[in-house]
Amino acid sequence: MALLESRGLTVSYGGLHANDQVDIDITEGKLVGLIGPNGAGKTTFIDAITGFTPLSAGTVTFDGVDLEGKSPDERAHLGLTRTFQSLELFEDLTVRDNLMAAAEKARWNSFITDILMPGRGERAYQQQVDEALDALDLAEHADRLPSDMSHGQRKLIGVARALAARPKLVLLDEPAAGLDTQESQKLGFKLREFLSSGMSLFLIDHDMGLVLNVCDYIYVLDFGRIIAHGTPAEVRKDPTVIAAYLGESAGEAQASAGTALNTATEEQS
Amino acid sequence: MNSIIFNLLIGLGIGSLYAALGAGLVVSYKGSGVVNFAHGAMAMYGMFTFDTAWNRGELFLPWCDFLPTHTVNLPVRITLDSDGSWPMIPSLILALGMSVLIGLAAHFLVFRPLRNAAPLGKVVASVGFTLYLQGVALINFGNSFPQPKSIVPDEPLKNFLGLGKAFPQNTVWVVGFTVLLGAVLWGIYRFTRFGLATRAAAGNEKGAILLGYSPQRLAALNWVLASVTATLAAIIVGPIQGTITPIGLTALIVPALAAALIGGLRSIPIAVAGGLALGAVQTLLDLKKSSWFTGPLTWLQDGVRNVIPLIVIIVVLVLRGKSLPIRGTVEEKRLPLAPMPKRQIEHTLFWITGLTVFAFIFENAGPLTIFAGSIQTGLVFAIIMLSIVLLTGYVGQISLAQMSFAGMAAFFMARMMADGIGRGSNLVPVTGPGLPWPIAAILGVAAAVIVGLLLGLPAVRIRGVQLAVVTIAFAISLQSLYLENDELTQLRAGVPAYVKEPNLFGLSIGARSDRQLNERPAFVIFGAVLLALCAIAVANIRRTGVGRRFLAVRANERAASAAGINVSRTKLLAFGLSAAIAGIGGVMLGFKQVEVSSANFVYGLSLSLLAFAYLGGITSINGALFGGAVFAGSVVPTFSNYFLKGTNMDRYLTVLGGFFMIVTAIVHPEGAARFFQGGMGYAGNWLVSVIPGARTLRDAREGPRRKVVNAILAVLLFGFALWIYNAQFIDSNTVWVIVSLLIFWALAVIAAVILGGIAPTFGEAGRGWVGWFTKFGPAALVGYVAGWIVWPIRVDDYSKLWMPLLGAGIALFVRSLYRQIRYGRPDMHAPTPEAANDVPVTAEVG
Ligand SMILES: Nc1ncnc2c1ncn2[C@@H]1O[C@H](COP(=O)(O)OP(=O)(O)OP(=O)(O)O)[C@@H](O)[C@H]1O
Ligand SMILES: [Mg+2]
Repeated sequence: MALLESRGLTVSYGGLHANDQVDIDITEGKLVGLIGPNGAGKTTFIDAITGFTPLSAGTVTFDGVDLEGKSPDERAHLGLTRTFQSLELFEDLTVRDNLMAAAEKARWNSFITDILMPGRGERAYQQQVDEALDALDLAEHADRLPSDMSHGQRKLIGVARALAARPKLVLLDEPAAGLDTQESQKLGFKLREFLSSGMSLFLIDHDMGLVLNVCDYIYVLDFGRIIAHGTPAEVRKDPTVIAAYLGESAGEAQASAGTALNTATEEQS
Repeated sequence: MNSIIFNLLIGLGIGSLYAALGAGLVVSYKGSGVVNFAHGAMAMYGMFTFDTAWNRGELFLPWCDFLPTHTVNLPVRITLDSDGSWPMIPSLILALGMSVLIGLAAHFLVFRPLRNAAPLGKVVASVGFTLYLQGVALINFGNSFPQPKSIVPDEPLKNFLGLGKAFPQNTVWVVGFTVLLGAVLWGIYRFTRFGLATRAAAGNEKGAILLGYSPQRLAALNWVLASVTATLAAIIVGPIQGTITPIGLTALIVPALAAALIGGLRSIPIAVAGGLALGAVQTLLDLKKSSWFTGPLTWLQDGVRNVIPLIVIIVVLVLRGKSLPIRGTVEEKRLPLAPMPKRQIEHTLFWITGLTVFAFIFENAGPLTIFAGSIQTGLVFAIIMLSIVLLTGYVGQISLAQMSFAGMAAFFMARMMADGIGRGSNLVPVTGPGLPWPIAAILGVAAAVIVGLLLGLPAVRIRGVQLAVVTIAFAISLQSLYLENDELTQLRAGVPAYVKEPNLFGLSIGARSDRQLNERPAFVIFGAVLLALCAIAVANIRRTGVGRRFLAVRANERAASAAGINVSRTKLLAFGLSAAIAGIGGVMLGFKQVEVSSANFVYGLSLSLLAFAYLGGITSINGALFGGAVFAGSVVPTFSNYFLKGTNMDRYLTVLGGFFMIVTAIVHPEGAARFFQGGMGYAGNWLVSVIPGARTLRDAREGPRRKVVNAILAVLLFGFALWIYNAQFIDSNTVWVIVSLLIFWALAVIAAVILGGIAPTFGEAGRGWVGWFTKFGPAALVGYVAGWIVWPIRVDDYSKLWMPLLGAGIALFVRSLYRQIRYGRPDMHAPTPEAANDVPVTAEVG
């Protein structure tokens, strides 16, 4: 049984089915990718899994637990964390504190310890925060504010924050958007490293080079439906995927995504 | 049945007032997206303008004679007719002109500069505007103002609608007026181009531009409209309410807000209907309470009337909070950064000792004894302001009910102490368990926590300004349900509750001496220790996990819950902790006052407290201390009152407080404490480099011997205290001089170690000073000289002192305004290119 299983997952906004009968399996220890044109419903899928938007139908099980009725923070405690496409960092906290806030597991009485014996409660989490900082090369910036940092670094803070709690599965929403090719490749290497430390990853990105290179398995979403899935090699050759990207191309971004896919395809083959 | 209908109809009278004011609130919200807490105050000023013109033949301009100079003599009072009355129609026109002026001022001087500010800034500014208008009205019109005449006929109608009773005719008139007003406003927004543009601008400012209106001009027009309707409503409908005072009129904001919220802050007809219904239901409850609330519900009789708006507000906000309109283009700014408290224990030690010393100096010090009392007051309010730093500064929850938590604690403690013996001015015995003071105090704080958690519940769903509205309604409800409810307090006819003197191991730590003066140093030490404990607790919160979760929730609730933080529980915790600290403040206020009445805890004080905490710096502990020191009755006002004899600073405190609050919100949202800290930091650095020994001690402090150094500092401080206390017993001059020198050296070392940052070299420290002075010096000097030139005023000497100071202050203000306009605000939170991130960048690949 996979670590995370969605069955018939449907999310409707008014009449629009942003996700329609989506079945996705994320196997433990694997890096699973989700691609699709703009507005395909990728972010909606992450929102649905992490409890930010209600399901209209379907079920999600994580690690054998049915997630229905669980709030986002409860899901995070189960070991399911995410990043945001629009970052959503805690701008008033230093980089380290951003991570600490996510790493610490608060109990009802933690505030008493914190007031009476400050520092006692957080020792347990220092190490895992340091690890996450090191993993993304943020250690030297630990005491800066996110708002003072470059866009690429801010992206990494978002990823580091999701990793800091040592989750079982991290859902990454376009972590490479806005990074240059080199940064993006570096991120890809890092993601593979995390896998070897026993974590599972789910990656959404428009950077086809990244997705096709690092993922073990890929799902393709269009208009809220899964139109294809398979290993990168299979997906790359799938005619429906190429059609979705080249066919009803509505916007520039879509077209360029298609180009990117083609280029990537050519490079690989 | 007939009597119920009759009562409902009578209630439409007061309902019209809510309805008309509520409609005005909708107007200003449509126009500028501001929930205007100053709406009642604006109505009030217009109404009193009308009344003084009509009945006294005088006009008071909306400021007070605070600048009574020779050269620049601001006119305040203008005699219209020496006979003492003016015809009604011109008076009315005059009042409407005044309201246009006030509406324009609200837009151009207050809310336009704040259009991109965080919601808290807008709330604080509108509270500031309220305080300003209220203060000016109290000075110009006085609180014992003769009751204005109604301009609508008020002979009763006999056998109205065949209900068999006489009915007040004015009710019919005012309801008619209100419905007409609502219809006219509705028509304006529905059918005119102006109305269309306003509606377009509320959704998207570009829409208004397309229609050929500048959004800012539209906002100004809407402000004028809101202000004029408010004034008209107050003049025509106001007298129906009975006694009218500046403060009473301002308080109408709560039911008016309830009416506006019923209309979704959008629909004027629904707001008007809601306001009328609210008034009708309230009056019905009022007239029927003795028959409806009996037996176990008897205690509800007094308060139920004021609870109705609260219930309406909460229900409306919880049910349709999400659907309330939020203006499209306005990007929300964050609150100022919450600085990490540094060297808190040392700071704390330092001022505890300082306060102790002053407490001994001012005990039984003749006319100076008032300073002892002012220190006690300052301590109490600093504690309550810490509760605001925690809740509003760290978690971003705007609460206008902090004084109610304090009141809850004080009253519950008094009741737990009561033992059936009449005491103080209350000779009617109050029954109670007669518990010893520590237990009663703890129970009082616990009661405050329970009330705090209760208020935290709506905060789980309601945010920002809307939460502020809930808290103010809650404060008023708590006041009439508990503090003024003699069913529960057994305090008949408003007599105060008696608080017994606290003592420790048989020693009294009460505030009052045998002479019934607030002068006992023991109480200052008691209060200083409590304040220190609260400050350290808040500092520890900021430094650890709780504080991180607080700030995470403040920054971004979505991201916080994704990071595994339970947002609801975090908010509840914040409300609980904040209420606990406010409760401690309330208990201390009880001990200080000995007798407390509900007037000590009116909701208006909560507004001022929030405002002064903001003035000091809402996100820092030092801000709370600063706010406590400048609050009414506290050290700074008492000091200036005493030394600038005759300034009557207390009189101007509300006006000045309101004014500076607006200024702070616009120019320096980090608050005054940050401003002074810069200067203090330089002073500390300088001391480190010039005082022999300071550097050694400072360096040692950073090392492993921290505790030893702290102990040395503490001993030095207490030496200083003892010296001050015993100076009069030292006979020998030489000894006296040597000891004094030693003591001053110690004091300088301590200040250096506490304030000094990275120890600079002698030269660097000097350059720091020079830099600081070249930055602020010229502007301050120019202002000072200008003040000096303007000085020679009506006879009094005191202005020789404060006119230059005021000039320097104004010059610094103008300087920062100028720099802000010229260079843009040095923003710590420059918006990050987040929007750009959402566009997927794919081009680089391949
Ligand atoms: N809260 C919402 N209410 C209504 N519609 C929404 C909401 N969120 C998303 N949608 C719609 O659902 C569809 C899917 O959006 P989603 O953000 O999931 O796309 P995406 O695949 O993440 O796109 P992108 O690549 O641009 O990030 C879009 O048509 C979007 O307009
Ligand atoms: Mg998306």
